[in-house]
Amino acid sequence: MARYIAGRLAAAVLVVFGVSVVTFLFLHLEPGSAARTLLGEHATPRAIAALQREWGLNASLPSQFVRYINGIIHGNLGTSYIYQIPTSRLIGERIGLTAALVGLAALFAVVMTVPLATLAAAKKDQFADHVVRGLSVLGLGFPSFWFGIVLIEIFSVHLHVLPVGGIGSGFGGYLESLLLPAITAAIGIVPILVRSLRVGMIEILDAEFVATARAKGLREIFVLFSIVARNALIPTVTLLGLNIAYLIGSTVIVEQVFDLNGLGSLLLSSILNRDFPVVQAVTIVLGTSVVLINLVTDLLAARLDPRIRLR
Amino acid sequence: MTDVNSRRNPISRRDVFRYGLGASALAALSPLVQSPSGAATTQQDKLAVARIAHATPKRGGTLKFARSVAPTTLDPANTIIAGDIYTLDKIFEPLYITNASGVLTPWLATGYTTSADNKTLTFSLRPGVKFSDGSPLTPADVVFSINRSRKNAAGPLSFLDGAISSIEASGSSKVVVKLSEPWAPIISDLSVFANAIVPANFGGKSEKEFFAAPIGTGPFLLSSFTPDATSLTLKANPHYWQPGKPYLDSVEFLYVDNDSQRVLQIEGGQVNIVDTVPPAEVASLKSNASVVLEQFPAWEVDLLVFNEKLPQFADRNVRRAITYAINRPALVHAANFGTGEPGGSFFPPSLQYYSASTPVLEYSLSKAKATLAQSKYPKGFATKLLVDSGNQKFVTFAQIIKSQLQPLGIDVTITGLDHSAFESTFQKFDYEMFIDYAINDISDPDEMASFEIDVKDGGSSSYWSNYDNPKAIALVHEAEAEFDTNKRAALYAEIQSIVAEDAPFVALDYPPYIYATSKSVQGFSVNPGGAYRLEDVWLT
Repeated sequence: MARYIAGRLAAAVLVVFGVSVVTFLFLHLEPGSAARTLLGEHATPRAIAALQREWGLNASLPSQFVRYINGIIHGNLGTSYIYQIPTSRLIGERIGLTAALVGLAALFAVVMTVPLATLAAAKKDQFADHVVRGLSVLGLGFPSFWFGIVLIEIFSVHLHVLPVGGIGSGFGGYLESLLLPAITAAIGIVPILVRSLRVGMIEILDAEFVATARAKGLREIFVLFSIVARNALIPTVTLLGLNIAYLIGSTVIVEQVFDLNGLGSLLLSSILNRDFPVVQAVTIVLGTSVVLINLVTDLLAARLDPRIRLR
Repeated sequence: MTDVNSRRNPISRRDVFRYGLGASALAALSPLVQSPSGAATTQQDKLAVARIAHATPKRGGTLKFARSVAPTTLDPANTIIAGDIYTLDKIFEPLYITNASGVLTPWLATGYTTSADNKTLTFSLRPGVKFSDGSPLTPADVVFSINRSRKNAAGPLSFLDGAISSIEASGSSKVVVKLSEPWAPIISDLSVFANAIVPANFGGKSEKEFFAAPIGTGPFLLSSFTPDATSLTLKANPHYWQPGKPYLDSVEFLYVDNDSQRVLQIEGGQVNIVDTVPPAEVASLKSNASVVLEQFPAWEVDLLVFNEKLPQFADRNVRRAITYAINRPALVHAANFGTGEPGGSFFPPSLQYYSASTPVLEYSLSKAKATLAQSKYPKGFATKLLVDSGNQKFVTFAQIIKSQLQPLGIDVTITGLDHSAFESTFQKFDYEMFIDYAINDISDPDEMASFEIDVKDGGSSSYWSNYDNPKAIALVHEAEAEFDTNKRAALYAEIQSIVAEDAPFVALDYPPYIYATSKSVQGFSVNPGGAYRLEDVWLT
């Protein structure tokens, strides 16, 4: 087990390294400079060159890369060009919001998925099943930011029950502000989850142990929720784990739509500002969390299902 | 270099000071205070009247203001970005301001006298002005502030004070400014936010301590602010010099850079004012009974710029043909959703010395074809049009221009780049045509004229077009040295006429500032430079 985790962690380091190489190259291929943004329209070429030199952007690409990797190895993610504070502080201030958003979205995704998939599986090829399947196809087709705007129109602009955007104060206000964004992000993955879980449940419903349970005279509702759903949980956990990566990616858009200042919006603004250290640091943090979540998912699946052996 | 301690979020920054003010380092002998020309003034005055017609202002309340720009530093001498400027100008005030109609107005000064050689100005300070800590405004504060601003090598606007050779206190209420040469735009220059007044020696504090808890003469003082946070709160200055003002208890500025979020926040009643409303949203907001849509004329022009370093655009007939071919009223209708005015002169109508009789090359396809036939490219050519892909209005402009140039045989390929890449590309002349906006910052039009025409000294190679007409440049310098209002107006009219005929760029439209407020907001207005004062604002 320990060897398995060590192996996975080593692989994770390679993945994160690969991600940072690609990010570094893409960023430096784009024209534009944070120096110009920072210095404003009256920036003289000399002032821009001086700032570029201060940041070490005048060095050759390979030597910049070596310095960058060296910094990472020493745990130094650099200083933001634009905000002039360490990127680690910037990320520290914003990571909580994104983590809360992803966590709440994952929770909502499960809460929405399980009843829908159960219903569809239990009523296979009947009306309810067609409705659920139809809705998930529709859900796959619509972009999630569109759902976000529709939700704001309904709940915030017309009903005035939830804030339009931004983050409220206090725990209640915080949670209230995250409700619509989390639902929006969840809707992005629910269709995929519903379709997979439905298939999984249908397979289990046909399994012999379910037939046995029914033959023992257990109530159908008990069979569904206690036996079938429990067994279908394993593929759902695995699937959810895989889709967390998608969920994390979607925070870039969801945070924009709902005016939330998390890592997603920080990543976007830093790309547009050419604030390289921040982009690289955020990419590493997001990449690492995706890899770690996948690892945790695999461990959890192994725990839930004794048939899975980790090597 | 600018203040390295400032934290900026330039995605949202509006390029307030796009123009090379450096151009005005040339001696300009313009009349000191003038009212701006015709149309826009009337429009503004009507607005002002409509505002004043309201009942007695009510006191109290918090104004929630969602803006597309974020403050990062509050030091007037060390910034040039919109989020900073439009926050710190509520805390610090200069000797003169530009009012909502675009006219210079005495503010912390009540007036000034000029010596016979026009090189010494004596300003009288307004009596009874106090800082927010209760201490009185003294000449020493003015001397300290303006010296700090003009001697700050890192200050983005310190060159505006280039004509000042010394500034001294005189008695208990006067300040004497000496100039190295007669310099008419000095009042315009002193009215810039960078010359706002702070207490002498920061009241004994260090610079860093002072700007963390700033003290000014403005209607508001800082309540809470973290540079990378998303909101900033101001509260009323109990010692404000205008009796009874400000009406508001506090102002909360929220940073919301997403356009549709701002619109939804005003629709949802979450905030009282939003800035930079996208033109596409204007119609739906107008029909919303709980929202008031406001448009204010701006010293701003959207331009299609030609790269005259390329042979096809060095050909005057090609530029003229393209200008004829672009249907600007249709452009405004399609891309601006009815906001703004179709372009003509390269001066916007709200700007001083705008000439309504400029011989604009109005849309005419037949004239366009006839003109192109006289060029070296009678059958047209293939070219590229560079746009900022994040600017939806300009992307739409580009698509319409592409289709409008097709009948001439000019085949346009549109290239979109994000803002940062876009700017560095056209400034390296690595383009054929591009669309961008140009703005004037201070009340004197010399800035716009120099920046767009004076290819050598204007600071931008004629807005990166490389347009070079020695006669027009000579007229710009002549206008800078002219005191007589009528003569100066005639000079600028001639300049506008030459530029319209040469067509170095096409003035596509004159966009307004678009704000939306809730019904409860009264007394809100924006000057043509983009600044708004909040001491007159109240909530019903």
